[in-house]
Amino acid sequence: MTELLLQQAINWITLGSIYALLALGFSLIFGVLNVIHFSHGDVAMTAPFIALAGAQALAAVLGAAAPAWLALAVIAAVFAVGLIGVVLDKAVIRRFRDAPAMMALVATVALGIVIRELIRHLYPQGSNPHAFPRLIGGVAFDVAGVPVSWFALAVVGLTALLVGLLFGFLHLTPIGLRIRAASQDRVVARMMGISDGRVFRATFLMASSIGAVAGLLFASYAGVTRFDFGVMAGLIGFSAAVIGGLGSMPGAIVGGLIIAGIEVLAQTFVPEGASYRLVFVFMLVIAVLIFRPAGLLGRTILEKV
Amino acid sequence: MNHPASRVVPRAAAAAATTILLQISGAAFVYAILSAEEGWQVVALLGLLGFGFYLLERLPWINDVVVALLARVPVVTTATAAVIVLGFPFLVGSNTYILHLLIVAQLYAVLALALNFQLGSANIPNFATGASYGIGAYVSALLAVNFNVSFWLTLPVAALAATLFGFVIGIPCMRTRDTYLALVTIAFAVVVHQLLNNFEWTGGPNGLVGIPAPTLFGHSFADPIEVFGWTLPSQANFYYLAAAVVIIAVITARRLHESHIGLAWNALRADEMAAKAQGINVAWYKVLAFAVDAFLAAFAGTIYAFYVSYISPDNFTFLVSVTIMTMVIVGGMDNIFGVIVGAFLLTILPEKLRAFSDYRLLIFGVIVIGFLMIRPEGLFPQRLRHYGVER
Amino acid sequence: MSALLAVENVTMRFGGLVALDNITFFMEKGSVLAVIGPNGAGKSTLFNVVTGVYRPTAGRVKFDGVDITGMPTHEVVRRGVARTFQSSRLFRDLSVLDNVIVGMHTRASAGVLDVLFRPAVARRELATAVEKAEALLRESSGPLYEQRYRPAGTLAQADRRRLEIARALASQPKLILLDEPSAGMDDAETDALVADIERLRAQHPELSVILIEHDMRVVEAFPEHVMCIDYGRLIAGGRFEAVRANPHVQEAYLGTAAADA
Ligand SMILES: Nc1ncnc2c1ncn2[C@@H]1O[C@H](COP(=O)(O)OP(=O)(O)OP(=O)(O)O)[C@@H](O)[C@H]1O
Ligand SMILES: [Mg+2]
Repeated sequence: MTELLLQQAINWITLGSIYALLALGFSLIFGVLNVIHFSHGDVAMTAPFIALAGAQALAAVLGAAAPAWLALAVIAAVFAVGLIGVVLDKAVIRRFRDAPAMMALVATVALGIVIRELIRHLYPQGSNPHAFPRLIGGVAFDVAGVPVSWFALAVVGLTALLVGLLFGFLHLTPIGLRIRAASQDRVVARMMGISDGRVFRATFLMASSIGAVAGLLFASYAGVTRFDFGVMAGLIGFSAAVIGGLGSMPGAIVGGLIIAGIEVLAQTFVPEGASYRLVFVFMLVIAVLIFRPAGLLGRTILEKV
Repeated sequence: MNHPASRVVPRAAAAAATTILLQISGAAFVYAILSAEEGWQVVALLGLLGFGFYLLERLPWINDVVVALLARVPVVTTATAAVIVLGFPFLVGSNTYILHLLIVAQLYAVLALALNFQLGSANIPNFATGASYGIGAYVSALLAVNFNVSFWLTLPVAALAATLFGFVIGIPCMRTRDTYLALVTIAFAVVVHQLLNNFEWTGGPNGLVGIPAPTLFGHSFADPIEVFGWTLPSQANFYYLAAAVVIIAVITARRLHESHIGLAWNALRADEMAAKAQGINVAWYKVLAFAVDAFLAAFAGTIYAFYVSYISPDNFTFLVSVTIMTMVIVGGMDNIFGVIVGAFLLTILPEKLRAFSDYRLLIFGVIVIGFLMIRPEGLFPQRLRHYGVER
Repeated sequence: MSALLAVENVTMRFGGLVALDNITFFMEKGSVLAVIGPNGAGKSTLFNVVTGVYRPTAGRVKFDGVDITGMPTHEVVRRGVARTFQSSRLFRDLSVLDNVIVGMHTRASAGVLDVLFRPAVARRELATAVEKAEALLRESSGPLYEQRYRPAGTLAQADRRRLEIARALASQPKLILLDEPSAGMDDAETDALVADIERLRAQHPELSVILIEHDMRVVEAFPEHVMCIDYGRLIAGGRFEAVRANPHVQEAYLGTAAADA
């Protein structure tokens, strides 16, 4: 029993970290633009495809598939996806900043469709699932007879590192301060002329590349990637961000951990829980929003009249 | 405003003639696009349509004139519409594909009208219309398959069940707004889809099969219709049924729109706080919008289930909700006619794009985004209400 | 006789900020109360507490003998309190006429089922509402009636203010709260506003009015009851002349107004 629990705890932390990374992107973008970028999950899930394509291209050009090519391609994918985010923002998302929330939602849902279809058409045999390698293999050590993989450690470590970097960036650099100002008080941000292109670019670059890391880790965790993984990635990341409280970075992390927790709990303790896990996850989302309409760590602000 | 339309009061005879002509040309256009086989025909017709919308955009008074004309002779307008709707299957003859498209388009029109109460009138982003649609379909199908309940009885039961569901979604939505509210509806949609997919008694991912065709006065809807020596294919049964539901939906929509309820929805769309200050119970009106939406969606769901006689969870995904939403937005929020046009356009268009069948979704996505950026108010923007005779 | 409105020891805090600090006052039926005070004093907050937009941190509000503290806004309005907003909040995409008809919402009795299944009843009710709304628009000093089929968002500033008042009156309230009704009006328009309020009082002697005003000419026109709020505290109350002469008020309010001028 303890072994099972330990094993599940490791799964929880791993999955929770990945979800937290996804949620961070949603929260960052919402904070600055007040827009839900529903296709953020799809953007994130382009990363494994870009990495696979990159590794194959490198292998074709330089001969012989080597782990180094994959590592290189993975890093390139993170940057490429960051750029994709910036371009999408400029081309589409930014224009819905002042539109009703619903317009932005529908537009970004449609954007998600476009991204998925593009993956499907541009990647060879894009409709099929594609195997994705474990980026880091092997067992690091045993805890009470339960093996802890290097991969799980790497996921947690990488998440902590990224969160730390993000935190430092938001709190120490001038542009980070402006991003925080913009997400804390939109009116003030407008008045100070903060809402300029640089803030948007920086936000999307960070959110999308963090999302890319999450996408790569997820594909690696699942061992496979598919063009429509982005739908669920998006739904779960969005839900995690909302449960935590949109615009709140600690909230996004808490939200990611909670959702992963529910999933793992359902799988472990409920008969046939695996197939009902999404039911549990979204029931929880509903419950949280009934009792805390602004999310767990979101501030309920009284509208000034 | 000072355009010609407000001053010209057309004479009745002229108005009647124009009305009839307008509606017939509209119907002819629909027929032409439905029966177009060649790619160039479709492109030409779409070009014509595009030109029409361009004209409307440049000369917005055309819209007012047409509305004035139709309102001038309401009896003629309604009679012409009735003749066209009744007569269409005779024109189509044995082409069941066209009838099929028309049935689907009409069901989507009902769904879009249902969603319009929320999205258009009250600006509530509801992503769960597909779920209400599914609940309607499943409830009636389960009753018919397991208990041999007649279609006509399952219809109200399914509508009631879905309305209850609407209330249930509505309650957490009373306190939430915008993005948060959208997520609540998304969550409900996912939960419903997942449950349908997992329960044994709903048939799991395989769904339900063998839903029997409805019968009316001994006439089975699986049989062709024979009138005056004409034989209409069995689809015509469902065509008329769907048309009847569209009419019910339009009447419901009009009555609500032209009452203090429609006004209250519009008020809370414009400014929730100010609406409360007029004594509007905003929470209740939100819930009401959910209930009405679910009620009508269940009608569409029931007919769909009995029409195709086979349903599965994948007919009622989140994407279906998005499609319905797109129809409302493209057609024109809070504009009944516009919403119906949106539903027809977005049902028929993808079918006609079969030439590019593999790229259909891609094109669909691009069109939606483009539309939202270029013309967010839709093809037929909402109109101010006018009271009394003077316009 | 009990007061129409009783505000007893009301305190409203936003986090650390005390927007209303232990405010107590009573108001008789048929009277006009002018509330003055510098920017950020807590005047609008007082309206928001009375109309149930905010629930006070402490204290009670009674209206017409009923405790309405923390009651939802729409309930308060149903009981006969109507208000306007400082930054006029019209339904911008509805016509001028529809704005007033929405204001009659509490008077509509037809339910959903009536609307759906007894359309004639609902239609008749709406037709009556249209007539009443048109009458209200005709009575207003501005050219509102002529513009009744315009989207409210396209009106000129003064007309928006007038429309907000007409909309508030549409519910036939016992108490109407006007938050800076003269903001954005020129002198002639302000005079017309004063005349409007006076005419209204003559027509409905039972109607009570609370005015938040920065324009002293308006306050002067209704001098019987004036109170001044500063930093959330009620620092003076009484007739206009007395309040104006109060040194606290001069310091807090007239001082800044003079500095502004
Ligand atoms: N919803 C809110 N959240 C936080 N603080 C608020 C809120 N509403 C009002 N305040 C604060 O309460 C104080 C009083 O505000 P209020 O609007 O009542 O002032 P006022 O007297 O109406 O001023 P003005 O003459 O500028 O309209 C201000 O400091 C304001 O910032
Ligand atoms: Mg104020």
